[in-house]
Amino acid sequence: MVNCYNMTSTSQPIRPTSSAELQKQIRENYVGSRRPIHIRGGGTGASAGYLQDDPSAIVLTTTGLSRVIDYPKDDMTITIEAGLTIAELTGTLVRHRQQLPIDVPVPEQATIGGVVAANISGSRRFGYGTMRDYLIGIIAVDVQGQQFSAGGRVVKNVAGYDLCKLMIGSLGTLAVISQVTLKLKPVSESTGILWATFETLDDIDVVLETLLLSSARPVALDVLNARAAQTIVTGAELKQLPTEQPVLAITVDGLSAEVDWQLESLRKELAVFMPTVCLPIVNDDQRQKLQSAITQFSQQQSAVLALKANLPPSATLDWMAYADEEGLALLSHAGNGIVKGRFPVEPTEYSRAIEILGRLRAKARQYRGNVVVDTCPHTWRQKLPMFGDPEPSWSLMRKIKQQLDPDDLLNRGMFNEFRLPALRNSDGVTS
Amino acid sequence: MVSAEKQRELIRRFRAIVGEDGILTQPEDLAVYECDGYVIEKKTPDVVLFPTERDQIVAIVQACRELEVPYIPRGAGTSLAGGCLPVGGGVVIALTRMRKILEVNLRNRYAIVEPGCVNVHLTQHLAGSGFHYAPDPSSQGACTLGGNVATNSGGPHTLKYGVTVNHVLGLEVVLPNGSVVELGGVAEDAPGYDLTGLFVGSEGTFGICTKVMVRLTRDPAACRTMLGVFENVQDATHCISGIISAGIVPAALEMMDQGIVEALEAAFQFGFPLDAGAVLLIEVDGLEAAVDSEAQHIIEICNARGAREMRWAETAAERQLLWKCRKQAFGAIGRLSSSFCTQDGVVPRTKLPEILNFISECEKRHQLRIVNVFHAGDGNIHPILLFDERDETQIQHVLAASHEILQKCLDLGGSVTGEHGIGVEKLDFMPRLFSETDLAIMSDIRKVFNPDGLCSPNKMLPTAGACGMEEIPRDHPGRRAAL
Repeated sequence: MVNCYNMTSTSQPIRPTSSAELQKQIRENYVGSRRPIHIRGGGTGASAGYLQDDPSAIVLTTTGLSRVIDYPKDDMTITIEAGLTIAELTGTLVRHRQQLPIDVPVPEQATIGGVVAANISGSRRFGYGTMRDYLIGIIAVDVQGQQFSAGGRVVKNVAGYDLCKLMIGSLGTLAVISQVTLKLKPVSESTGILWATFETLDDIDVVLETLLLSSARPVALDVLNARAAQTIVTGAELKQLPTEQPVLAITVDGLSAEVDWQLESLRKELAVFMPTVCLPIVNDDQRQKLQSAITQFSQQQSAVLALKANLPPSATLDWMAYADEEGLALLSHAGNGIVKGRFPVEPTEYSRAIEILGRLRAKARQYRGNVVVDTCPHTWRQKLPMFGDPEPSWSLMRKIKQQLDPDDLLNRGMFNEFRLPALRNSDGVTS
Repeated sequence: MVSAEKQRELIRRFRAIVGEDGILTQPEDLAVYECDGYVIEKKTPDVVLFPTERDQIVAIVQACRELEVPYIPRGAGTSLAGGCLPVGGGVVIALTRMRKILEVNLRNRYAIVEPGCVNVHLTQHLAGSGFHYAPDPSSQGACTLGGNVATNSGGPHTLKYGVTVNHVLGLEVVLPNGSVVELGGVAEDAPGYDLTGLFVGSEGTFGICTKVMVRLTRDPAACRTMLGVFENVQDATHCISGIISAGIVPAALEMMDQGIVEALEAAFQFGFPLDAGAVLLIEVDGLEAAVDSEAQHIIEICNARGAREMRWAETAAERQLLWKCRKQAFGAIGRLSSSFCTQDGVVPRTKLPEILNFISECEKRHQLRIVNVFHAGDGNIHPILLFDERDETQIQHVLAASHEILQKCLDLGGSVTGEHGIGVEKLDFMPRLFSETDLAIMSDIRKVFNPDGLCSPNKMLPTAGACGMEEIPRDHPGRRAAL
């Protein structure tokens, strides 16, 4: 994971340990020197977008805000401070057989505030949704140091504008999240994965279409090209799993009998399409290692250039087949049209990266999709269009940013393209 | 109220946009649009328009903007908080003629509909496809998808499947500046802020939605529908807490008290036990391999928590009748009272016994009759206060009791609305729910979309969102009519 903050600021991070302290520090900056503020949780979203180089910037880390405020477990909600790590949250919840079913890479490091701000999600988004389905209340501090809230602590609530939704994925550009309330789910009794390989990605596309009306109800539909499969299997230390061909990995969960029934039903449904191999993975240890390796895929340290495509689900495999030819390792959450791609080894040169990115974006555009750059060398960030082609709605986003942070102090430059959407050449590159 | 001269100009321009067939101007016609399901406050609009396509809406918005006339979009008018009340008069833009289902794409699990599409029509259209649209408000036979978007509607099955916002992928919107913008879309995770999520539930104050792209949900393979019969409300509410705290999330978990059961039995002759203090309507769904086990677990909890009797819906027809009873409960209230006011509070699920006790005390204190039918699994209560609107004293008691109940919801850590919205009814509660800073930020956000405040003025936020809005008068209460 590239840590941009150390590269862009020379000052020592500030680390408030209470909401009052957080407000005070931000307010003092606002009434005083109005230095840009780089907000940092666990660093999991740090590479997204472009944080403007500014040695005078204040780095504000939320890891000192890590308390569980309220956990009424019988209501299946929890209110926690933004700096609590996902691992700590999971540890608290699992004691009561509850969970936040969002797959987060590096859970020991990732904070809940960061996960909200970067809208992190993984395989199980197909069955369980994303942060927008779980965040029911939020407290944040605006650029002037004023605390504000939205939503509440009950699972159903439509009072006021849903600023929770606005904060999800806002990458710290609108306010500093200090506290969140989450809706929770019970932990499933059992989980299983079916690992099926096919000759081509096209073959899997046909299977996916059939699975729409499957008798099972998968919670994850992941497709891996061979490069990604190798990385993931190596990470999971499950060398017995074949990786020479594209893989369809289907996850099901529920009661033990339900999981067994689904795996068997899926095996029969897939048999019609003659997979090269079709292996159920039900051993808890192996299954957890595999799920973890899939979740970690997009966070590999070695990736020089990592991308995320968002597409209509029906276009996912076609786009993957195209990107596969460019040499990327690719993992898709195919039921949702999300593809995570990275160049596994080659430290790509900027000119070549631009070329490939242009082609991949053009292909995604055919399907009304987009490609976002997740990770790239810091020096590329000023010139590389991180978020793809401008959309008409970006003008509204720009106005919201201006309304809430008129001096552009919070994570300045993160959504640079929203402020400068017009200056493009025909390759989609900012001029 | 606009001046006579301005109204003439408005009508001339609107006739050119929507034609003679698409405009109402006569007082007897306009009276239909003076309120929604919240009948305590009323205001007659100056004009009602029925556009049939997006570009007409653009032209209407531009005309309103040029003539500085307030306007408000309206679906079926089933809102229960005055969300459709044309505060200060002006133009009602009724979207009920834009009701087409434009596209169904099962491969990508979405449908695109016009805003006036009735919720249940989409469900019926999808029957047999293996997919459905999950949010199912009780008013789904009448309410529109555009209205659902405006209020972020819920419904019984949102306990497991989520409310409207969890099922909206994208929107086409006419902004108050007359421009058209697409928010979100079929490709999930578009970069930038989630404006779709922000727009849903904005109660018509950000613009007019002209297309809704909704996520379709796979039909459950099996379901089991049960009726738990309890001697009293307290046992039933303790049972609800027991089910949720056992980590079970049923597809639906609804409670009806004796008053509602009486009205339903009179209307539908289902065979409800008339001597029961409360019944729970519980549904679990999922795979055949799991539903019986989950249902059995629930039955054990119900029995342990004092259920007098557990019944099953033996056939699909019986299940449908049960749901018909539940969803038409508000209609059946007519058998109990000429007028009623439905409240929409939320409490943490474990606080249901407390709030039900409080409602009972309120009933006695204000000498009112209050019956209850609600989404128990979500902690979303709907006390229904019965009254005779010819009696001003009763109205005052209804208003006072409503406020006390909602305040108690706040005291218990809940909210004043779970699915009906703030509308005009609950504006006074916003400063109790939110700080000045919260409200100022919400107002800032509204200014981005609706800077001149002409689109759905005096809704959602208690203070004016723009200059001049304070001066728009509101009838309180206006002319009242029987339901």
